[in-house]
Amino acid sequence: MPGIVIDGQALEAADGQTVMEAARAHGITIPALCWHPALSVDGSCRVCMVEVEGRGLAIACNLPVREGLAVLTDSEAVRAQRKLTLQFLTLNHPVDCGICDKAGECLLQDYHYAYNATPSVSNEPKLHATKHYSLGERIVLDNERCILCSRCVRFTREVSGSHVLGIEQRGDTSLIRPAAGRSLDEDPYSDNVIDLCPVGALLSRRFLHQSRVWYLTATPSICPGCARGCTVDVWHRRPDWQLQAVATHRNHAIARVTPRENPAVNGPWICNKGRDLADLLERLRALQPMVAGVPATLEEAMAAAREAIAAARHPLALVSTWGSNEELEAFKEHLGPLFTCRVKADHQRGPGEPGDDGLLIRADKNPNTSRARALFGEAPADTPGDTDLVLVWGEGFDGSTLPAGATTILLGSFEAPENVTAAVFIPLSILTERAGHYTNFEGVVSGFAPCFPAPATVTHAEELFPRLVPEGGRP
Amino acid sequence: MRPRPPRRDYWNEPTLGWWERAYIFEVVRGLLTTSRVFWRNMGRWVRGRKGALTSYYPEERRADYGRRNRGKHVLTQRPDGRPQCIACNLCATVCPARCIEIEAGLDLEDTAHPKYPEAFAIDYARCIFCGFCVEACPEDAIRMVPDIPDLPGNDRHDMWLHKEHLMTWNPQRDVAKPYPPKGGSGP
Repeated sequence: MPGIVIDGQALEAADGQTVMEAARAHGITIPALCWHPALSVDGSCRVCMVEVEGRGLAIACNLPVREGLAVLTDSEAVRAQRKLTLQFLTLNHPVDCGICDKAGECLLQDYHYAYNATPSVSNEPKLHATKHYSLGERIVLDNERCILCSRCVRFTREVSGSHVLGIEQRGDTSLIRPAAGRSLDEDPYSDNVIDLCPVGALLSRRFLHQSRVWYLTATPSICPGCARGCTVDVWHRRPDWQLQAVATHRNHAIARVTPRENPAVNGPWICNKGRDLADLLERLRALQPMVAGVPATLEEAMAAAREAIAAARHPLALVSTWGSNEELEAFKEHLGPLFTCRVKADHQRGPGEPGDDGLLIRADKNPNTSRARALFGEAPADTPGDTDLVLVWGEGFDGSTLPAGATTILLGSFEAPENVTAAVFIPLSILTERAGHYTNFEGVVSGFAPCFPAPATVTHAEELFPRLVPEGGRP
Repeated sequence: MRPRPPRRDYWNEPTLGWWERAYIFEVVRGLLTTSRVFWRNMGRWVRGRKGALTSYYPEERRADYGRRNRGKHVLTQRPDGRPQCIACNLCATVCPARCIEIEAGLDLEDTAHPKYPEAFAIDYARCIFCGFCVEACPEDAIRMVPDIPDLPGNDRHDMWLHKEHLMTWNPQRDVAKPYPPKGGSGP
């Protein structure tokens, strides 16, 4: 445990740490562009330069700690060096922050204002490079903005293991390019390079020009895409920046999804499916309660459901693996005694979708299977022949397995042909409209918060279940 | 019932003499003033001249705006007629009334201007005409001219002007601010 001194503050560092890591462990931030806690040391940006007392300047990210080492992170010499470094980094940078999606959360922009904040001193015309080089269906690369920190290259080599990206040529004509015959589309974790990029060089096609980032706010949520249950930030329009005349659909839409760092679940990464949560959650919603396909009020639908439950002799409940812990417990408490309960997989692994890959992605494409199985057992979700009523909660129900003459009560969120044929249909809120917790396959419980208000006609499952219990229970 | 609070003393409390208390004389004096103005304006109107200073809004447009009046926004155009705006949203961000809304479009074919405004709207019900949007614009894409946004309406939501309206002005004819801006930066 070498004792070091950072900015006059005596600290205990761990063996084998660098000055950068020791400083971060004690809450001291040393600016850096190419260094990332989850990636190897590159040492190419030179922004993390610190002054080693008695020895001159050195980069903190590659400076091992040793007993008695004393560094200054913000001395006169360091600031002067950083100013020169930033002038050099912006030498060929187009400074088109006005149309850059990264502006507002760009490290280069932040450091420029903190340490340089002067116009370029170069008289040479800026070098031009490829604008909008396509890196596949998800990512566009702007080579002019790239500062060649190689974070994206190291990510594909060290984390995702796809080895797709590399740097071509040399000097100021260097370019980030995919390996010959390869595409970034092969990498199911490719979108992490967009967050990793400290400037706006790697751009998400999905988010390109969709919003300035300062109009957005992040709500902690959980990706329901698989049993990993990665903690994510769902970015949506801030309440004080709601649109009134132009593109008002953005007020209630997911703008983008980024990982919410969580060492217990997903670290700093998520997969591309998590980025596309809007595809899962912004499908056509079912908003109208129905009794036998005829629109009804919520009260009427609930009364019809109570009647059907009271009259049933062998009722079966198919419990959703997309329900939160709270909802599953509410179901168990209120409806569990009335039904034979089976756990249903709401979503199946699609064709071409990756299974367990050892990094994050799991083959089970439902977020809360472990909690549902813990509450309702491991029995398969088949339909016994004498069933006369099926309560289906969530998606993924195959109506063809139903015995003839059995009626269905459907609780769902999305438009589906079964909604109309069911005896009762009650619309439910979705993940971004309610709060709750999911238990992932390792038993880690994480929470999600609502991003948007629920539509007036839908109800939260947790509030619905106690109201579905018939008066005086089932005879 | 609560007791009424005592009446406040005012420094210019009117004092009524017997003439004012008699009422009728002062009423007649007031009516005479009204009718004098009425008949004067009526006489001018009969002779085809303008009587009162009233403007007939919105049919009549006032001509006495100051040279630096800034009552209406215009979006400048490139020589090919497309908006100069790059949809950077700086005007919308700086706007203290938050009355500018922009929807950005994407054109990857045009590498010089990949971002453009698909929709651009200003709410004149909320605009305070401070001109910050003009100052914030890095592209000289929004300017203000001595005019008024003629938007008589029955609903506050009718007070939005969209890109199509805001662009119906040709900046190349503006001698004070030529387009493209000539050499150097700043005024």
